[in-house]
Amino acid sequence: MSVIVANGLTHWFGNEHALDSVDLVVDTGEHVAVLGENGAGKTTLLRILATAMRPTSGRLEIAGLDAHRERRRLRHYLGYTGHALGLYPALSAAENLEFFCELQGTPRSRIDEVLEAVGLAATAKRRAAQLSRLILDEPDASLGSDAAELLARVMDGRTVVLATHDRALANRLCPRTLELRHGRSVGTATRLRVVK
Amino acid sequence: MNKYEKAAAGAVALMLVAGAAIFFFAPTDYLQGPVQRIFYLHVSSAIAAYGCFAVVLVGGIIYLRTESPVADRFARAGALVGLVFTTVTLVMGMLWAKPIWGTFWTWDARLTSTLVLWMIYAGYLLVRRLSDPGRQSARLAAVVGIFGFIDVPVVHFSVTWWRTQHPGPIIVNDALPPQMLATFLFTLACTLVLAAVLIGIRYRIETALDARLNVSEPAKVIAAKREAEPAR
Amino acid sequence: MNPFNVAVAVARKDLRSEWRTREMVPALAQFIILALLIANFGFQIDSHNAPSIAPGILWLALVFAGLVAFGRTFAAERDQASLEAMLLTPASPVAIFAGKAIAASLLLIVCEAVMLPALSLFFGTPLGADMVAAVLLATVGMAALGCLFAALVARVRARELLLPLLTLPLWIPFIIAGGQAVQSAMGLPGSYPEAIGLLIDFDILFVVLTSLAARFVLDE
Repeated sequence: MSVIVANGLTHWFGNEHALDSVDLVVDTGEHVAVLGENGAGKTTLLRILATAMRPTSGRLEIAGLDAHRERRRLRHYLGYTGHALGLYPALSAAENLEFFCELQGTPRSRIDEVLEAVGLAATAKRRAAQLSRLILDEPDASLGSDAAELLARVMDGRTVVLATHDRALANRLCPRTLELRHGRSVGTATRLRVVK
Repeated sequence: MNKYEKAAAGAVALMLVAGAAIFFFAPTDYLQGPVQRIFYLHVSSAIAAYGCFAVVLVGGIIYLRTESPVADRFARAGALVGLVFTTVTLVMGMLWAKPIWGTFWTWDARLTSTLVLWMIYAGYLLVRRLSDPGRQSARLAAVVGIFGFIDVPVVHFSVTWWRTQHPGPIIVNDALPPQMLATFLFTLACTLVLAAVLIGIRYRIETALDARLNVSEPAKVIAAKREAEPAR
Repeated sequence: MNPFNVAVAVARKDLRSEWRTREMVPALAQFIILALLIANFGFQIDSHNAPSIAPGILWLALVFAGLVAFGRTFAAERDQASLEAMLLTPASPVAIFAGKAIAASLLLIVCEAVMLPALSLFFGTPLGADMVAAVLLATVGMAALGCLFAALVARVRARELLLPLLTLPLWIPFIIAGGQAVQSAMGLPGSYPEAIGLLIDFDILFVVLTSLAARFVLDE
């Protein structure tokens, strides 16, 4: 069952072409890695998938709903971690978690569960608790050496789209990859095939 | 000549006729002298300016509801033309005020609210220029336009109210003999025609600018294609 | 997570952040002290003209302090990422906006609590509940407008130029009515009840309008 259907996603920043007709279909429970160099359009694509941004043109449906019109509803189920941490440095990790739980509608009891499940890396996983679909933009950037195990545990059982430079990590975690170059998708591959 | 050039020529011709009426048909004011003739164009400009702002308001509201690029372009065109008319109003007002009141400026309701109008227009155009072109720029500017349109009468009312608390010496005599009234109405009509033509021309320019900027129409529905499923 | 709880949570979070970092209140306090000092040396103030000059100083200081306070609620780069994080939750953008506006107003009110007594102390003007009421009512409306436009210009370049240009025309009715209310409270001619009535009307009008506009400004 397809939970994310993206069609012809195109995005312009002024006169600069960030994404050029990208198509993507993700089924429930699938883990997809988006690969590409800096500037290839990974962050733009992920932000669009997370409903943080609207594409200049193209169509996106999540769980059968139009991603823009129903974005408030969809945000119940979407989790996104981006480049900037979006946290409050003046507040403790627990306070940050409590705050976002309040906004997300997650019961506080889940905070302890989450902290236990991921050890000290709670800051990067603040909303993983209740969310079934995750969009992760270079999550390994702020994690330590056991990033892969951590991510695998978080990703288990959920639909995940992940962006990274690290092809080895991507291959380990995600059976499917989508490669972007200059905003265009240059192919999808299965695990173990290294795409240049 | 294409239709825009014809319309422009027509509007200019009308304004010249109005000018002739102002100088040769309308009588000289007994109290104020020849300076009073500024009044015809000054007030017509003010009304045209506020009318253009109404275009900005309506365009903005329609844009927020429907994301129609046409509505947005009219709003942009209205803002630019309106700024020009507001500037003309302010300058003519100052030219008239100096000989009549002895000062270029006074903070009465009309002048203050015209200045506010000018600031809001300038803010609107700056917001457009300085934000990411496309949807963001249109949306933010629409909000500015809506608040601005409501603010101008609120400011006018506030200053009028304040004057009731502190009565001042400024009294403007609004009684007009029939020849002056006729001249004024004619000038007003010509000015409004000029404003409409200017907005139309500017709309065309904005359309051309949009095309260059890759600002797209709202997303069209494309049949979904499935990716080839890898065997897992 | 009903909108009221969201607004309260956001306001608490902003206030707690400010309490821990203490960035804004010293800047605002400095502002106000400077305004009072300059007024003292810039104007020839004696007990006769104090009531006619003091309200002007009060509003001047409040407007500039307000621009700083509301401008900062949405300005900082990290605030942009945090704002986006908040918007990606199911919480209503209007509730988030309300929370931030409430927090910013409370900070401004703290400064007003310092400024009004200081004004009274230095210039000998009376200080009573009627003055406090006038200032508080004006703060509400000014906060709603200031925060909305701060959020708007946060996405635009040259925001230090644009924020005053857009906000001041909208604050003029509040300055007029609030100024009159404060003057009346200090014994000058003019109707205090009418001025307060106007402030309440403006508050209602602009709080409703900004609430409606918030979602267009904050969310895509």
